[in-house]
Amino acid sequence: MLSEESHLSDQELLQAVDGELSARDAGRVHSHLVACWACRARQQEIETSIGEFIRMHRRNLDPRIPSADGPRALLKAQLSQLAAPPRMHWRISWALAAAACVLALSAYLIGLNWPWRSPERVVAVMVPNPSLTPGATVLLDRSEVCMESNTKNKAVPVALQRRVFDEYGMRSAAPGAYEVDYLITPALGGADDIHNLWPQAYTATVWNAQVKDALEDHLRDLVCAGQLDLATAQREIATNWIEAYKKYFHTDRPLTHAQAN
Amino acid sequence: MPGLPTESNAVVALSAPDVCRPSPSSALEQEVVDLFEQWRNPLLRYLLGSSLAVPDSEDIIQETFLALFQHLRRGKSRENLRGWLFRVAHNLALKKHHRNRRDVKNIPEPMTAGTDSFIDSFIDPAPNPEDQLATSQTQQRILAVVRALPEQNRWCLYLRAEGLRYREIAEVLNMSLGAVSLALERSLAHIARASQR
Repeated sequence: MLSEESHLSDQELLQAVDGELSARDAGRVHSHLVACWACRARQQEIETSIGEFIRMHRRNLDPRIPSADGPRALLKAQLSQLAAPPRMHWRISWALAAAACVLALSAYLIGLNWPWRSPERVVAVMVPNPSLTPGATVLLDRSEVCMESNTKNKAVPVALQRRVFDEYGMRSAAPGAYEVDYLITPALGGADDIHNLWPQAYTATVWNAQVKDALEDHLRDLVCAGQLDLATAQREIATNWIEAYKKYFHTDRPLTHAQAN
Repeated sequence: MPGLPTESNAVVALSAPDVCRPSPSSALEQEVVDLFEQWRNPLLRYLLGSSLAVPDSEDIIQETFLALFQHLRRGKSRENLRGWLFRVAHNLALKKHHRNRRDVKNIPEPMTAGTDSFIDSFIDPAPNPEDQLATSQTQQRILAVVRALPEQNRWCLYLRAEGLRYREIAEVLNMSLGAVSLALERSLAHIARASQR
């Protein structure tokens, strides 16, 4: 027989109610409850409190739960999209396309060659021609983009590099003077495709490939931290990576490596 | 030029790693939808209980089940998927709260005792006229007590209310089993005092 001093604690009573005791302890508690009205009364009070809480909880929250029809349909659609094999899709903004058309028409009317096809101009170009390199992405979601294995750019095949030079009218360009770079880095879901590649001049001293790399790392960090939507990051870098750099680093000039990090 | 990749070749090359993944099946999609049917409301109650608005909570649930699909598609553990779902949803909710705190405008109106939203959300839409006053007063006191609990204790209570065992709660909240047990015991003691007043 248990004495007054050896009553069960509230924690033991609660664990007994919740079925959280080991078989040995459960047997001990059961034997005690059979003998002790005080502990049984206390256990009933605990059960009453649980009942009061559950009633309040359900009455408070259940009326606020909307029908599952819409969310279920949305989930099914998103699952179908995820389950489908990855496919290419273009994120060419209409504004960008319209701007490219206006530029092309202007160049034609004033009797000039397409400016990016002029070797002299190519050397100075720091952003790609939007009509040739609008940016292309692979259909990946944030979690796939943020996988650790997706941090490095893939090497661009030599044959594909030649096609990029052809597109830009730079067949005679010295290979060592340019890096064929991704406009939207694969680390942000950019596609390994000619529409996402452009010849970036090594001669660029200010807005160069290293600066763009810093922007890519920064945008990826923001996306993976949930602070920036993936589609927005892709669009910003594809539209004008220099403007994107200024915007996300709050500066008009490239930061040093230490500042950027 | 011979040997140059065409655009369609480039697409194929790009897709090659994905082809190597376990092929997604409609059976897996259906399994995730079935789990959604089973756990959407408990998850939604848990998220709403943590003061998130309905649209934010629904977004988190979508993200949670999409993550579950990826988790299962990669052949990862199927052990205790209920605990897994609550853990992912809880972590996403923490992120959302963090973002909301940074953007004060987005913070949902907290349901504190004494405000209209508190009372409106609490009152049973079809109350029993005889018990309405007494019941609502008791339940208002309980709700006020629950909302005044330390955050961790409140989460323990909400997770237990959705049927999670102590071990699952401990994993979701990264607490010890003893701490979960103590949190529940203390919370219920507060509730008992509020309902007996």
